[in-house]
Amino acid sequence: MLELDVELQRGAFEMRAALVLPSAVTGIFGRSGSGKSSLLGTIAGLVLPRRGRIVLDGVTLCDVARGVWVPPHRRRIGLVFQDSLLFPHLSVRGNLEYGFKLVPRSERRFTLAQIAALLDIEPLLARRPQHLSGGEKQRVALGRALLSAPRLLLLDEPLAALDAGLKQQILPFLRRVKDELGTPMLYVSHAIDEILHLTSELAVIDAGRVLAHGTFGEVIHDERVLGLAQSLGLENVLAVRITGHDADGAATLGDCHGREMHLPPCAARAGATVYVSLRASNIALALAPVPGTTIQNQLPGIVSRITRLGDRMLVEIDVGQPLLAEVSVRAVQTLGLAPGAAAICLVKSQALAYLGGGIVPG
Amino acid sequence: MNLSLSAAEWTAVLLSLKVSLWCTACLCVPGVAVGWLLARREFPGKALLDSLVHLPLVLPPVVPGYLLLLLLGSRGPLGRWLDASFGIRLAFTWQGAVIAAAVMAFPLMVRAVRLSIELVDRRLEDAARALGAAPWRVFATVTLPLALPGLLTGLVLAFSRSLGEFGATITFVGNIPGETRTLALAIYSAAQTPGNELPALRLVLLSLVLALGALYAAERLAAQARRRLQG
Repeated sequence: MLELDVELQRGAFEMRAALVLPSAVTGIFGRSGSGKSSLLGTIAGLVLPRRGRIVLDGVTLCDVARGVWVPPHRRRIGLVFQDSLLFPHLSVRGNLEYGFKLVPRSERRFTLAQIAALLDIEPLLARRPQHLSGGEKQRVALGRALLSAPRLLLLDEPLAALDAGLKQQILPFLRRVKDELGTPMLYVSHAIDEILHLTSELAVIDAGRVLAHGTFGEVIHDERVLGLAQSLGLENVLAVRITGHDADGAATLGDCHGREMHLPPCAARAGATVYVSLRASNIALALAPVPGTTIQNQLPGIVSRITRLGDRMLVEIDVGQPLLAEVSVRAVQTLGLAPGAAAICLVKSQALAYLGGGIVPG
Repeated sequence: MNLSLSAAEWTAVLLSLKVSLWCTACLCVPGVAVGWLLARREFPGKALLDSLVHLPLVLPPVVPGYLLLLLLGSRGPLGRWLDASFGIRLAFTWQGAVIAAAVMAFPLMVRAVRLSIELVDRRLEDAARALGAAPWRVFATVTLPLALPGLLTGLVLAFSRSLGEFGATITFVGNIPGETRTLALAIYSAAQTPGNELPALRLVLLSLVLALGALYAAERLAAQARRRLQG
């Protein structure tokens, strides 16, 4: 368990955070510059807080008032950075052994062979970091941190420098680390779908403050969290209760605010709640239900707000929750859309993407 | 033109090499320590230390030489104490020439080390600390190996600078054949004597070759170290 209550200052940036995190995986979500990295730096001991204390599993790492400060090399907290920071003068094996050799034999938790197998990096051991791809580098960085037998693993945007395809390749490894090794982790990201891949437990940080902390289902209802999530490109998140599956397995059926929804097939049981993301630009609008269409989902609602975004219009429709649709200026004029008007949101089932690989526990 | 050296000239060349090698060896530890301090630490008086270290670069060399004589000479406070306690005499000895050369070469060494340490990504050092390495280990296993090309450059610059040292040396330890008459002083003496143009020219050519060789070796070493770092 990690308890922290700290205040720190870096130039003009000021951060205040109080959190109690159970010893499992917690996501730290926020935009870049919100203080997520400073928070991790403070936990690792690389950034000195101005005030406050940090306690990990009952051991006080830092208590400014009592003058307690454990230096970073004695904290046993692993760090994985966005840009892997492998030692360029050492081979992959040399990098993996760096922290491993500093751990007393009796306290080592894994062998190099185990970690190399888990992360599928055996063929890379003799290579230099300069000759690795971005995804390989991150796997080695993860292995290097794990081999130092950390009590807590801090991951600072570990996938941010990778493209979408590579992310999909690394995420399963992170899941394996979570499921098979059971190392507690703090996972910092501005991409909520990455976090939800690993955990539904998250703390939301903005401008140096903790906005909310809890499960995704709890915190997303906070208006400030929703706004933040939408501004970071998630745009719309719908909670859908699964009601059943098509007989031929081609679609999953669910209920969202009392409306039936057709989703891409998934393995979730009936009764489970899944979260799906929906980009604002993937919603079309109509004035009345459209018969005879291939579009499976039609969500009726009332227009609550219209905002101009350059040559596009952002239309907010209340369908039981606010949904943002991005349409052309001309379309808004032609349909005569205005606040208070009724509208139907048309959504192809393919436009719905599951968050966290389908099922979000809790 | 007879290019073979006389016995006295050989003595001067070997003495120069001995003084320069000792000077370089003596500068290793303090050069790296001060370079690291200036690159990585904030402390009161840092600007003053920086200026003091660089002073020999901008002063006429005769000034540090004279100050050394005042301090370490047989009547200087430190010189008297060294003589009385340990029987060490520095003024007018080759060991004194090493001190004079070291003072003059120190800024070059510190500058090279400082620049190369500043180029090492601090976050690599953070990564090493998070992996459990104490600060001295971070320095020895991450900072130093990554700064090696600059360090080698610094050592060779210091070596070359001490090969050419003249002003501080002649002021502090004089121009004693076989004891303190290094290559530069030998050239000076030869040039002072009428009809001695040929020996002077021989020594000038020789010092050109030595300096060029050292700089070339430095470049090769640094390039090799860089290649090793880049895999």
